[in-house]
Amino acid sequence: MSSEVSSDNPIYGPFFGVMGAASAIIFSALGAAYGTAKSGTGIAAMSVMRPELIMKSIIPVVMAGIIAIYGLVVAVLIAGALEEPSKYTLFRGFIHLGAGLSVGFSGLAAGFAIGIVGDAGVRGTAQQPRLFVGMILILIFAEVLGLYGLIVAIYLYTK
Amino acid sequence: MTNKNKKTIAGIGGPAAPSKQSKQKSEDSQDYSSFKTVLFYCMLIVFLPVITFFLMKAVVLDGFFEMSEVKVNIFSAVGAVVSLHIALGLYIYRAYFGAASSKAPKED
Repeated sequence: MSSEVSSDNPIYGPFFGVMGAASAIIFSALGAAYGTAKSGTGIAAMSVMRPELIMKSIIPVVMAGIIAIYGLVVAVLIAGALEEPSKYTLFRGFIHLGAGLSVGFSGLAAGFAIGIVGDAGVRGTAQQPRLFVGMILILIFAEVLGLYGLIVAIYLYTK
Repeated sequence: MTNKNKKTIAGIGGPAAPSKQSKQKSEDSQDYSSFKTVLFYCMLIVFLPVITFFLMKAVVLDGFFEMSEVKVNIFSAVGAVVSLHIALGLYIYRAYFGAASSKAPKED
C-alpha cells in the first residue's frame, strides 16, 4: 500500500475530485431551486388574473431547471473520471475541484438572477405584454452566466 | 334531440346558463391542451439532454474506438448542452408564436 501512495498520489487525492463533483451539483441545484421558487411566486400571483399567460410565464422556471442540468453534466463528467488514489494524481483532484466549483457558483449566481428577473418580469408581462421580449432577453443573459461556468468547467476538465 | 335538450336547459336556467356552461367547457379544454403542450416541452427539456449524453457516449465510444475517454465525455457533454438549448429554443418559439394563435379562437 505504501508503495502505491506517493506524494503525487496521496490517499486523500480523490477527496478533492469528490468535493468537485458534489459542489457542482449542490450549488447548481441551490441556484435552480431559488430561481424556480422566486419566479414561481410571481407566476402564482400573475395567474390569478391572467391564466392564459401561463404557457409564456413558465419560461423562467424552465431556464432555472436548465441551470441544474449544467451542474448535472459536470458532476457526471467528474464522477466518471474518479479513480482509486493510486491512479488519481493530486493535480487531477485539484482540476476537478476547480471545475466543480466554477460551474456550481456560476449556476448559483445565474439561478439568483433568473429568480429575481422571472418574478418581476412575469408580473410585469401580465400588465404589459410587450415586456415579454425584454424578459426573455434578460433571462437569456442571466442563463448565459451559468453557461460560462460550464464552458470553464469543461475546459478545466480537459487539462 | 339536441334542440330538445337546449330547450329544457333554457327553460330551467334562463338564457345565460348554457353559454356559461359552454364557456367553462371551452376553458377546460383550452387548459388541458396548454397543459399537454407545457408537459411535452418540459419532458423534452429534462430528458433530451440526458438521453443525448448517454446515447452519444455509447455511439461515439462504439463508432470511434481510437478516441480517448476524455474526448468522448467532452463531445457527449457538448452535445447534451446543444440539444438542451435547441429544445429550449423550440419551447420559447412555441410560447411566443403559439400563444398568439391560440388566442384567436377565443375572440370569436
